[in-house]
Amino acid sequence: MIGASLSRWTMSYFAAALLALLAAETLMASGYGFPFAELRSVETLFLVHLVALGWLSLLMSGALLQFVPVLVARPLYSDTLPLPALLALVAGLIALLGGFLQLDGRLTWAMPLLPIAGPLLGVGFALNLWNLGRTLWPLRGLPLPARFVVIGLLSVVVTVALGIVFTLVLSGTTTNERLIQLTAAGVPIHIIAGLGGWLTFSAIGVSYRLLAMFMLAPDVEGWSVRAALSSGTLALALVILGGIIAVCHGLELNTLLAAAAVLGAAALAVYVFDVARLYRARKRRHMELNSRMAGLALASLVAAATLLAAALARGSLSHDVGAIVFLIAFGWLSGLGLAKLYKIVAFLTWLECYGPVLGKTLTPRVQDLVAESRAAKWFWLYFAAVWLGTIALMLDATAVFRAAAAVMLAASVAIIAELVRARCLVEVDAANRLPAGAHRPRLFLCVSQQT
Amino acid sequence: MTMTYIDLDVRPILRAGGEPFEQIMQTISSLEPGKGLRLYATFEPTPLFHVLGSKGFTHEAKSLDGGDWEVLFRPTSTATPDQAQALISPNDDSEWPAPSQHLDNRDLDPPEPMVRILAATEALKEGEVLSSLLCREPTFLLPELAKRGHRWRGGFEADGKTYKIVIRVGARREAMA
Repeated sequence: MIGASLSRWTMSYFAAALLALLAAETLMASGYGFPFAELRSVETLFLVHLVALGWLSLLMSGALLQFVPVLVARPLYSDTLPLPALLALVAGLIALLGGFLQLDGRLTWAMPLLPIAGPLLGVGFALNLWNLGRTLWPLRGLPLPARFVVIGLLSVVVTVALGIVFTLVLSGTTTNERLIQLTAAGVPIHIIAGLGGWLTFSAIGVSYRLLAMFMLAPDVEGWSVRAALSSGTLALALVILGGIIAVCHGLELNTLLAAAAVLGAAALAVYVFDVARLYRARKRRHMELNSRMAGLALASLVAAATLLAAALARGSLSHDVGAIVFLIAFGWLSGLGLAKLYKIVAFLTWLECYGPVLGKTLTPRVQDLVAESRAAKWFWLYFAAVWLGTIALMLDATAVFRAAAAVMLAASVAIIAELVRARCLVEVDAANRLPAGAHRPRLFLCVSQQT
Repeated sequence: MTMTYIDLDVRPILRAGGEPFEQIMQTISSLEPGKGLRLYATFEPTPLFHVLGSKGFTHEAKSLDGGDWEVLFRPTSTATPDQAQALISPNDDSEWPAPSQHLDNRDLDPPEPMVRILAATEALKEGEVLSSLLCREPTFLLPELAKRGHRWRGGFEADGKTYKIVIRVGARREAMA
């Protein structure tokens, strides 16, 4: 079929991801992990992977299963693979977190969990990569936004491969000299490939198209997008390929990282310039909540890049890195994710429920599924708490950070409640809720009616 | 495996303001198995990517000097027409009647264009044709059209900004009856 339909398991990915977000925020609010523990402590590892894998990677995977078909106007290669992939990812995440608890001594279970976690996560990511790859593969001359996603997918391969090496070394499964060296020095590569390549690059690709779609703006194409793509790709290649070679030969990473930072900053500047153009060129005068809140996420990205530049200039990176990573994870990626979820969940629910009867009978509009003015307050509260949390981290005010995390948790719970209300059609007045032929959506599963 | 290509240059037709669609479809249907089509056009012919994609062709587009495009269409041996692809008749290169209704949905907020088009198709009789202008590719509309048994041809106009879709109502029901 030409065009894209609903991806069956996307809602299940979103649900699992949101649970991980709540768990991570609960831990931060209760004083677990960085900044209450060392940056390199096992507690911090636990928290970071709950966020990066449980929340952000599941969110991104679910979103890509739905939106890669939209980017290339082709159906997803397989509707069956996303479920086993999700199960493998969740099982892998649980094993990984359990493995960290074993390292910490908090979990005394004889079976070593880390060596199981790596392969499980590998299988989960591989199934989704295969599915998305087969969707993209037959196309030559991919649209530019889809090329960002391709780079993102290549980066996740590196991230997971390095992660698997780390689990094998940390669990003592291997004592290979090279792999131990890679584990000792390769952590920055793992983080940059994950946060920068997989999550940020994919988010940039998807956002180019989604922002244009939702704001009725002409797609941004041409030299600037190409410049952002090539400069960003080069930055990632320097870090990943150059970095791995450097680590294996026992060389310093700093020069390489600095060169990559300049290229990455250039890519980011062009992207922000493009998105600003997009906002200006929009035909939709009244911006919806998701577009307004995406603006706050972009502002967080710019702030994180500025903080990074300042920290490099002052030589305070080792102190500020936690705050910067926090702002990227929660201000930029989570902020954008939550903002887009607010639109995507309502739209997919609308299409699933009313698609079969559109044009045949009067149906509610997408806007009728949400209550933007109420949700807006929670989003503002979320972003304010993230920014306060970032400042608290920079100033080592751990008590303030804990309070900020608690507010983030409350705001997230409220935003999720809004998503559930949209999914359950609570906002739609009862008389119009379910016209004959429309079907009631299930909470965690999209059912696209086939004829 | 090297693929041999039949060349087709539709630039003269396009420059003369003509519509080369019929000729392209004729060339495609007369291709021997295993052969591809090398097409020259004055713009990137995205509409064709989808039409020929549904017939099991992949494409590789390359811009040439002077703003022209060269596109290689290759039949995929692995292409198995899935259930949905089968909804589009492989020989749907017939003449369609002139559209009996035109919609300009370019300035509407999504998904209003989709709602309007589906409402309009409900009001038309079998075999009637509707045309609509949009400001982007209606990705989510197409599966709905397929489910309802309508056929469509769509793509960006030469300006690259306006997407024109032409829908023939109930053509599948007609063909299956």
